[in-house]
Amino acid sequence: MLVAFFESIKYSGHLVPISFLRIFVGYYYLQEFILKFSGDFLIRPRVAEMISQNLVASQAPEWVKWILNTYMVVHWQGFAFTLLAIELAIAISYILGYVVRPIGLLAVLSTILLLYLSPSGSQDFLKILLATHFAFAWVGAGRCLGLDYYFFKRVRGIWW
Amino acid sequence: MKHFFIFITAVFLFLFVAHINKNQNFLASEQKPTVRIFAYSSFTSKWGPGPQLKNLFEQTCECVVEFIEGSDSGILLQRLKVEGQKLGADLVIGFDQFDLQKATVELSWRALDFSKIDFDSQILLASKNEYFVPYDWGVLSFVTKKSKGFSTTLSLDDLLKSQFASKIALQDPRTSSVGLQFVMWVLKVKGETEGYEYLKQMMKQAHSFSPSWSTAYGLFKSDQVDMVLSYAASPLYHSIEEKNDDFVSLEMIEPQPVQVEFVGIPSFCKNCEKAEEFVNLMMSPEGQKIIMEKNYMLPVLKNVKIGTPFETIKIPFRLLDIEFPSLTEVDGVLTRWSQIRREISL
Repeated sequence: MLVAFFESIKYSGHLVPISFLRIFVGYYYLQEFILKFSGDFLIRPRVAEMISQNLVASQAPEWVKWILNTYMVVHWQGFAFTLLAIELAIAISYILGYVVRPIGLLAVLSTILLLYLSPSGSQDFLKILLATHFAFAWVGAGRCLGLDYYFFKRVRGIWW
Repeated sequence: MKHFFIFITAVFLFLFVAHINKNQNFLASEQKPTVRIFAYSSFTSKWGPGPQLKNLFEQTCECVVEFIEGSDSGILLQRLKVEGQKLGADLVIGFDQFDLQKATVELSWRALDFSKIDFDSQILLASKNEYFVPYDWGVLSFVTKKSKGFSTTLSLDDLLKSQFASKIALQDPRTSSVGLQFVMWVLKVKGETEGYEYLKQMMKQAHSFSPSWSTAYGLFKSDQVDMVLSYAASPLYHSIEEKNDDFVSLEMIEPQPVQVEFVGIPSFCKNCEKAEEFVNLMMSPEGQKIIMEKNYMLPVLKNVKIGTPFETIKIPFRLLDIEFPSLTEVDGVLTRWSQIRREISL
């Protein structure tokens, strides 16, 4: 696996810059995860507050607003746990370059959700992040400087 | 895909175990009831009175106080409607006299009896409400710097003189309660016809109509304007916190408006008794002193400010009576104001 890791630079060296970006984004998500986990994100209804404060002015479709308002505010603990677990999964996946394509798609979905729930000031950053996740999933950013190259060689398929 | 599902499951399991581990201590403290208090951000921030009141209350209440903040009272009411009934809200701090009717119409409140409290005579009228108790008050005034050399006694008409052109920072009444106070003040002392004409002149005269008091005050502090609509106690803040005595509030020839802030307990509260105890703390001399010193507003209790720098605040000889305008009245005024603003912009 270690040989494959370094071999990936030789055979997919054109992806090295995007791999650096992938690791950087992964590190960002790891920082966000640590901040939330060590804080009170899972203990206090921060996510319910976020929904209440921002959903009124959100451009989310009505059915999304309805679901968030009806279920997610009440079951905020499960919702907060899922959001945090996805952040951790993105962090590990991007840093190791493991299952980057499916995780990239998952990241796209979670970023769209956060776009609906964020104040207008932070939306530009989230839009850039959304495009970045999409690009990672598209090119298979884990194939260079990542574990995905090892599995790609052995299994092939669109998910690597 | 098998790898993906195994990976995701492993991450969820890891987080679940870590969460359980981390919360073993927290669960013990959760046995205590949580008093959820909705308040505006300057009350709950570390320089506001909220944290100090919370610490004082938690020492004796066998409970945990949690603040939920909104940037202003409008947002507060909105959050209360969406989130309050589902997650619980025990106390709401920060409505002023313009919000009370809206709050009463949109939500139901628990009756409070604080009739035995020795209120300051200036705000006796505001203490008669069945559901909301006043906890601080302030006189609105224009604030300037002595070094600018203006007379400290002016009339509203003086503000239209050419020397103040583009030198006064005002607030947008649609988003700021101080801005709304100004509009209602003008209409009260000048009457409707003359009042709207004055507002039209003032729109040409003012530097800007900021969305909030803090933005307008920022313009003044950074010397972009010479004068700002603020509180009579604002100069005291600079004197105490910044050791700067250059700031002064103007005494207006017309009677000046008063802003009163209220606290109320929604009828869907979960820890209603604890919430009432918190209100008792706010209304105690100790609580009033904390609010006065952190909020730079006047206490509602008599005698609290005696022997403090707040005693030196010059309360204008004439104050406007505190009124509780109806929702329709406020909406009508705001619509007319917006219309004038559009006409001026064209």
